[in-house]
Amino acid sequence: MAANYWASTQRLHWQFSRTELQDILQHLENEDPALTQQYPLLDRRLLSIFYNQQLVKLAKRMSIRQQALGTAQVYIRRFYTKVDVRNTNPYLILTTALYLACKMEESPQHIRVVVEHARSLWPDFIPSDVSRLGECEFYLISEMNSQLIIHHPYRTLQELQGRLDLVQDDVLVAWSIINDHYLTDLPLLFAPHVIAIAAIFLAMTLKQSSGGQQAAVNAAAYLTDSRQAIREGSSTVASNDNVPEKRIGSFVKWLAEGEVDLQAVADSMQEIISLYDVWDRYGEKTCKDQISHVVKARGLDK
Amino acid sequence: MPSMVYKNKVRVRDKYRIVGFISSGTYGRVYKAVGWNGQTGDFAIKKFKPDKEGEVIQYTGISQSACREMALCSELSHPNVINLVEIILEDKCIFMVFEYAEHDLLQIIQHHTQPARHPIPASAIKSMLFQLLNGLLYLHRNWVLHRDLKPANIMVTSKGEVRIGDLGLARLFYKPLHSLFSGDKVVVTIWYRAPELLLGSKHYTPAVDLWAVGCIFAELLSLRPIFKGEEAKMDSKKTVPFQRNQVQKIVEVLGMPTKEKWPGLVHQPEFAQLQTVPYPRRDSGSAGPLGLDTWYWNTLRSANYQEGQPSGSPGQQGLDLLTSLLDYDPTKRMTAEEALHHPYFTANGEKVSANCFEGMTTQYPHRRVSQEDNDIRTASLPGTKKNGLPDDTLIGRPTKRLKE
Repeated sequence: MAANYWASTQRLHWQFSRTELQDILQHLENEDPALTQQYPLLDRRLLSIFYNQQLVKLAKRMSIRQQALGTAQVYIRRFYTKVDVRNTNPYLILTTALYLACKMEESPQHIRVVVEHARSLWPDFIPSDVSRLGECEFYLISEMNSQLIIHHPYRTLQELQGRLDLVQDDVLVAWSIINDHYLTDLPLLFAPHVIAIAAIFLAMTLKQSSGGQQAAVNAAAYLTDSRQAIREGSSTVASNDNVPEKRIGSFVKWLAEGEVDLQAVADSMQEIISLYDVWDRYGEKTCKDQISHVVKARGLDK
Repeated sequence: MPSMVYKNKVRVRDKYRIVGFISSGTYGRVYKAVGWNGQTGDFAIKKFKPDKEGEVIQYTGISQSACREMALCSELSHPNVINLVEIILEDKCIFMVFEYAEHDLLQIIQHHTQPARHPIPASAIKSMLFQLLNGLLYLHRNWVLHRDLKPANIMVTSKGEVRIGDLGLARLFYKPLHSLFSGDKVVVTIWYRAPELLLGSKHYTPAVDLWAVGCIFAELLSLRPIFKGEEAKMDSKKTVPFQRNQVQKIVEVLGMPTKEKWPGLVHQPEFAQLQTVPYPRRDSGSAGPLGLDTWYWNTLRSANYQEGQPSGSPGQQGLDLLTSLLDYDPTKRMTAEEALHHPYFTANGEKVSANCFEGMTTQYPHRRVSQEDNDIRTASLPGTKKNGLPDDTLIGRPTKRLKE
């Protein structure tokens, strides 16, 4: 339940395997093949970056806290497992998601204020009538089955900070990696504590080596093998060349001895690393044009 | 226009037949319904009042309290917490469908005052309290504060199972982004409001719910609210008034709180105000504060709770538990978990029954359901209703807590 991730609706209803998620998204596209064909869209990951950038613009204007922003991002991601983007006005969806997230994170914003800010950013896409946002809120809540409480990795990060004596630098980098993970499907794939651990591990490995990403990739691979190695009592683990720093070795040892799903941690690391690759290909204009085209052509902004 | 217009997939009337109106409050109205078209059983449907602009109902954004209740009830699952069946969003309204509970503690207490006062059997009280604490422990373990525990919000099924209801004021308290005070200035119906809240505490804790449990325990025994103060209304500037009369009612029984017993007392924002509360001093002719012990034994005597009597007796252990629940100091007040392990429940190795009506011959009347106003769609909004009494006004109970 609320504090217990294991009994939460997040784990029970909103956590999927990669295959399940793939099927769900495929199913959405198959619902209306003509529509899908008429409006081909870019890689979902690129669109995610676009939505996120828009959302961050809005959140900054309103000085929204990161946790509410994260909640809104998860809402958007959940919603788009139920509804095809081509049937929505993403600008209204993300404004509504943020409005609802602020209420759920106990820092409510007045509906008029939210609409005003959103209109100043996207005058062509946000109706001035606040009831449209109110209506969209019903849509969002209904598609999410009123399951609105979100467990975030930040809490685990804070808890582990003390337990693992993390240095401030690692915590800051891990924090921003967690911010980034909302741009991927990770919130729908893994438990928040898995994400947090992946973020910490990435933060440590990205920093300690000039090799940067390559080091992280190695670290992820290394992690996958390490539990096996530790179980077998191998002493080679700590002296692995890919991960020279002792500190990391002891972190991995701590991990391997626990019950954390290391494969999931490694997967999460890979996903984040590939996000940074995708990001290099990102261009705001292409995404914006595509979205505008669908919304305008289908009259979804009305 | 494609599907950016909201259309609900499930319609209330397709699954539920409204059989009558139960109660109304600030949030909206509650109806009794029976399932049909494959849905079986009885249900209570809570319809949230939509805002109106003129005569037309508009989407104006869902209230924060409705959001909380929807989200929390969707997560919660415990035998002693009211069970949510589903939420339907239709016609700009929110319908929360709950399992139906035939009774509540307020109704049970009232039944025992008529025609003449006759006590609720001690074993029934023990079971009610145990189940209440069990549900509360679950809430607190999950970082949920209820913040509005009172007899009317404690449901009891016809099988004698206690269900904590009305989570309209409940919220999570895990590392809140803002102090709990900033969200809702006033919580908990006045008679059940903990001293730290009355003294203006901004960072309150689950202990506020345990104070309310203490008050409910006392009320089950005496069939009257133990601290029946008069609520000072908010003035035009919307400043929260000091609840002098309510504090006075508590002091009359428990005596003045002291910094020896409650070190945090002097840091309470309204500490200065506390000095202005008329204090029943022994030396000035009055009998002094009654003392909880005296209150308790007087209550037991007048209700004829005695070992050997059919009603049984909550005994010395009951007093110990009550005293620990009504501790002024929230940091010393007993927690739900400690209370469940209290000898009051565990002595003699007996197991507390999960059916609070076990062994009882009393038949409680069914919940009053008004027949005239059973159109969930066209029914008039609260405040203009023709029939049915809001639960809190039955016996001049204080009006529902103020919100936001």
